[in-house]
Amino acid sequence: MVAQLTVFERQLALGLLIALALLGLTFGVVGAGDPVGVHGLLVVGIAVALAFAVIGGIGAPEPDAARLSRYYDDPSKAGIVLTMIWAVVGMFVGDWVAWLLAYPDMTFDAAWASFGRLRPVHTSGVIFGFGGNALIATSFHVLQRTARARLPDQLSPWFVLVGYNLFCVLAATGYLMGITQSKEYAEPEWYDDLLLVIVWVVYFSIYLRTLARRKEPHIYVANWYYMAFILVVALLHIVNNLAVPIGLDHAKSYSAFSGVQDAMTEWWYGHNAVAFFLTSGFLGMMYYYLPKKAGRPIFSYRMSIISFWGITFMYMWAGSHHLHYTALPQWVQTLGMTFSLMLLIPSWASAGNALLTLNGAWHKVRDDATLRFMMVAAIFYGLTTFEGSFLAIREVNSLSHFTDWTIGHVHAGALGWVAMITFGSLYTLTPWLWKRPQMYSPRLVEWHFWLALFGTIIYVFAMWNSGIIQGLMWRTYNESGTLAYSFVDSLVAMHPYYIARAIGGLFFLAGAGIGAYNVWMTIRPAAPATAQPAPDPAALDVPIAALPAPAVAGE
Amino acid sequence: MSQPDHMDHAPKRDPHTGHMTTGHEWNGITELNTPVPKPVWFFLTIAFLFGVGYWILMPAWPLGHTYTKGLLGVDQRRTVEHKLQQAAAHAPEWMAKVAAADYATIQADPALMADVRQRGHTLFGDNCAVCHGLNATGNKGFPNLTDNDWLWGGDPDTVFETIRVGINSTHPDSRVSQMPAFGHDQMLPRADILTVIAYVRSLSGPVDKEDQAKVAAGKDLFAANCAACHGEDAKGQTAMGTPNLSDAIWLYGGDKETVFETVYNGRQGHMPSWEARLTALDRKVLTLYVLDLGRKGAPADSAAVKASEGTVP
Amino acid sequence: MSIFSFHYRLERHALRFVIAIICVAAVGGMVEIAPLFTIGETVEAAPDMRLYTPLEVAGRNIYIREGCYACHSQMIRTLRDEVERYGPYSLAVESKYDHPMLWGSKRTGPDLARVGGKYSDEWHVAHLNNPRDVVSVSVMPAYRFLKRTALRTDDLGRHLATLRKVGVPYTDAMIEHATKDAIAQATPGTDDAGLQERYGGATQIRAFDGNTGEVTEMDALVAYLQILGHLTDAAAKEQAAWEKAGAAGAIPTAAGE
Ligand code: HEC
Ligand code: HEC
Ligand code: HEC
Ligand code: HEM
Ligand code: HEM
Ligand SMILES: [Ca+2]
Ligand SMILES: [Ca+2]
Ligand SMILES: [Cu+2]
Repeated sequence: MVAQLTVFERQLALGLLIALALLGLTFGVVGAGDPVGVHGLLVVGIAVALAFAVIGGIGAPEPDAARLSRYYDDPSKAGIVLTMIWAVVGMFVGDWVAWLLAYPDMTFDAAWASFGRLRPVHTSGVIFGFGGNALIATSFHVLQRTARARLPDQLSPWFVLVGYNLFCVLAATGYLMGITQSKEYAEPEWYDDLLLVIVWVVYFSIYLRTLARRKEPHIYVANWYYMAFILVVALLHIVNNLAVPIGLDHAKSYSAFSGVQDAMTEWWYGHNAVAFFLTSGFLGMMYYYLPKKAGRPIFSYRMSIISFWGITFMYMWAGSHHLHYTALPQWVQTLGMTFSLMLLIPSWASAGNALLTLNGAWHKVRDDATLRFMMVAAIFYGLTTFEGSFLAIREVNSLSHFTDWTIGHVHAGALGWVAMITFGSLYTLTPWLWKRPQMYSPRLVEWHFWLALFGTIIYVFAMWNSGIIQGLMWRTYNESGTLAYSFVDSLVAMHPYYIARAIGGLFFLAGAGIGAYNVWMTIRPAAPATAQPAPDPAALDVPIAALPAPAVAGE
Repeated sequence: MSQPDHMDHAPKRDPHTGHMTTGHEWNGITELNTPVPKPVWFFLTIAFLFGVGYWILMPAWPLGHTYTKGLLGVDQRRTVEHKLQQAAAHAPEWMAKVAAADYATIQADPALMADVRQRGHTLFGDNCAVCHGLNATGNKGFPNLTDNDWLWGGDPDTVFETIRVGINSTHPDSRVSQMPAFGHDQMLPRADILTVIAYVRSLSGPVDKEDQAKVAAGKDLFAANCAACHGEDAKGQTAMGTPNLSDAIWLYGGDKETVFETVYNGRQGHMPSWEARLTALDRKVLTLYVLDLGRKGAPADSAAVKASEGTVP
Repeated sequence: MSIFSFHYRLERHALRFVIAIICVAAVGGMVEIAPLFTIGETVEAAPDMRLYTPLEVAGRNIYIREGCYACHSQMIRTLRDEVERYGPYSLAVESKYDHPMLWGSKRTGPDLARVGGKYSDEWHVAHLNNPRDVVSVSVMPAYRFLKRTALRTDDLGRHLATLRKVGVPYTDAMIEHATKDAIAQATPGTDDAGLQERYGGATQIRAFDGNTGEVTEMDALVAYLQILGHLTDAAAKEQAAWEKAGAAGAIPTAAGE
């Protein structure tokens, strides 16, 4: 892969890696005695390893100019592999913490193995590791196809991919060492936050630079969503992570806001991390791979417009539904609730747009598990947003908040929507990128589909049950007119559901494991002979070769 | 950005739906120019109108240094306060009865006791169970409240007082109980401690050969050092909260190591005061509830037992 | 011109589209967050509000480090059952010095907003050491290592100084004596006059982990847990006030009171 970079890019990459190693070393030395020092050394290790990879290919001849008339997909390929690795790791930890809630003694008396430290490894691992890599990998692919332009250069996408995964690794290893800001979904500490800002700026510049060179006059909907994802996540991330570190030798920082303002900022962020990371980005994915796989036009361009701007505008008001009945002033809660209700319409418009696009392709849904993944994802998207708007109603939230109902809602979205649309898209994309006629085993895709579906259903039903029971037990009054159950009573009632959830999770994890195996068998270098001719899967993947090579020299 | 639109196609009719495409194509993807379905506009309008109505009625929009209060004048804090006041004003009858009646009367009234048990179960579970156990049968260092073996006395007023002020708590009237650290504070040499504990342990059960030899000497040491608090007969004194050492009921444990540890380092159990946290009525209910659990042959609290057995209530 | 034809033109310009996204997305946050700094009544007045001592700051950081907030909320909502179970509803001022706040979003375990003083130090130590020793059905992890891990106190002054930068009014003296104060709070009998003078007479000075020898992480965490809900009396006072206003003989009092 290094040979695909120009000599200048290789030198630049080496320079950047050396700089990174030096930076890591600085932290390692200055921060000795603090966990940040461990991170410094970890960075040195990663940078040195990558530097050796670059050095290994530095002497190769300049890549030929013909590459400029082809799309640049190496970063997407690497991104797919990383996605599958993070999927298995993140969901493994998810199932582990699920079992911990049923059998809490599986911690080996080790600090790192306790629920509180592992849980963010799970949430960051699946959202940022799995989801984020999937978004980066697919966005590079979709962007080039829909702009009919090659990525502007070959180094910056690697910078994004490597930098982003470094962010994820520092986050996950940090939690194990106890490094966390405790802000949900924004737990990484200040230096990791800064790293993400840099990565994000480069990511966005790739987007703009590619769009600037596009051959299509109109920007396709998928890119609206990917752009909203990148832009708004940047806005949210920067504001919510404002903090003052104790010093360069210290992992710890103190957030700029406190109390009620901090709570509102956190949930403005947290809710919109859901909206722009877990929704917007994946809608972008859906808008490309679903019509592509179904071979159907998007049902309604106009509905796309309504739902896109509705989602972009209204989501940003809804965060305060995480703070109903709290010390947050009620006027903010009102705004959060009303906008959450309005939000249902654009959300359902996107789900409907996806499902109606399948009109005329239902036979493909029946026969092809890949497309079925995407169809089910759209349905779960509709279900989750309906549930979300429902939970945002104050009176409902008084029952559901703090309970497993929220967890059920989260995973209806996370498993049913985010993971399913991702698997569907990756099963579509993987054979294309590696020029294979199909996945290694369509039967395994079928297996994965059913495991994922049943896993999700078990998980979600278990949590609906436990959440509603829990919420009711906390507020039930007995005939004597007093609270009927102590907290511990409700805790005991959760036990069977925690086991059921862990089993559902195991199903889902098994599916993801099968998926990773299937992807690996599809892409492994010694591809079976069957992978040879077949109808060129990339036939529809109109290459830019037909067009004059981009004018900008050296790109 | 102003490249020629050479990839634009003329809009085509989609044979399946009959709608026109927009005329654009992205790598094979096209879009239909289907009008937005009526229900979308309809529900969007409804949702918006609902929002407007809600904003008018409830606190909603910020205005610099204040916010719109809403026509209904609702405020979540006033609402819950009102609910709690209402609950207090319409408190069930049994509460007034329990508050007014003396313990014996309540204990003799099955209907009242049923209410006490219901209220007591939750109060005990949320406040006391973590120390005294889900069934009030105690934990190491936290006494069993069901065995009729009382440190401070088991008549209702005493129990009520214990709950009110706590033991070694920060309450000014707290009960004080302090078992000295005979070893740590060098009041007794190690050998003497081993001797006296041999005697103490012999009171509630057989001890091994080695210890049997020490019992007689231990008895003298006990009389000299311990009897002041635990009594000549080692049966404890409720006035001082000292445990009976002659029954087989141990607060901390009766094995040799634990008893040695107790005498060497001393003990000072802490029980919080509940005066500031629970109302007088709740404390009275707890007193009755705890005494009820200890009634001879009383059925163990069913819900608590169920809870500890893992059955869904 | 319909919105669709407007959009038809907008979507041809990447930069304009970007600006449109930013503008449309920025509104909600601005309207909801900025006024929280300008509307006075958002954070109630509490003249008796006190600061976390250095030991409590350290304990709070352990609470964050271990992810206790993943299972415990510190936010009693304005709902009847919560007030009855956990005490007066939480006020915004109570977390005024919490950078960041720890209101939480999940109650796998009970709310801890007012747990301070509810149980004894010994209980907390036993519970953190292995929750199932005291609560047989608990699913909380065991934190045995806290008792055997010495607390890092050398840098507490820098922690306080950083907190001052984000708005917590620690004085120079507090910052200067942070390390000493932390040790003094967990070691009764040492010179704690300065500590009381700086943080108030109500400062709890005890060997929280039951061992006067070494200041451990257990000392710090228990010190923090024992202060929860006690930085200010504002919430209790408010409850007393409205209870009195609405009482008129409504709440029965027990005999002997
Ligand atoms: C933090 C732990 C803790 C909690 C919570 C607690 N207790 Fe106790 N309690 C103790 C300890 C320890 C003792 C024994 C003190 C001693 O060693 O003398 C005790 C003693 C008692 C006694 C005296 C027993 C006797 O033999 O005289 C009563 C009665 C009692 N508790 C009732 C309650 C009730 C009712 C509650 C709940 C409102 C409660 N306790 C909550 C720790 C606790
Ligand atoms: C100053 C009063 C005092 C003296 C003197 C005293 N004790 Fe105690 N002892 C107590 C108190 C009070 C307790 C209960 C401590 C608690 O509840 O935490 C106690 C508890 C005990 C226990 C624990 C009982 C159990 O159930 O676990 C033992 C054993 C004991 N004492 C033995 C002795 C012996 C032996 C001596 C003399 C060497 C002695 N005590 C002298 C006050 C005293
Ligand atoms: C896996 C979830 C989980 C984690 C993580 C957790 N707890 Fe708990 N906690 C519980 C549960 C469940 C209970 C109720 C049962 C019990 O008392 O053990 C509880 C109870 C408590 C209580 C008693 C509250 C009361 O009012 O009864 C305290 C105090 C507490 N935890 C503190 C902590 C601290 C401090 C940490 C972090 C170091 C922590 N917990 C981490 C689940 C958790
Ligand atoms: C194998 C599948 C999975 C299992 C078994 C699993 C399990 C869990 C568990 C046990 C929790 C903690 C719940 C609690 O605190 O009570 C959790 C939280 C969470 N998980 Fe998963 N998970 C899985 C997959 C995923 C995926 C794929 C995603 C996202 C794409 C995800 C996103 C989240 C989020 C966002 C939370 C935090 C929820 C909250 O705080 O409200 N999970 N998960
Ligand atoms: C119309 C759209 C949606 C609305 C209005 C909505 C609303 C809500 C509400 C009210 C809560 C509970 C807050 C609480 O009580 O703490 C919640 C939690 C959550 N939702 Fe949604 N939701 C929507 C869509 C989604 C989707 C598509 C996902 C995708 C995965 C998702 C992920 C989450 C997560 C992760 C949480 C947990 C946050 C936490 O940690 O507490 N939501 N949502
Ligand atoms: Ca962060
Ligand atoms: Ca959460
Ligand atoms: Cu939300």
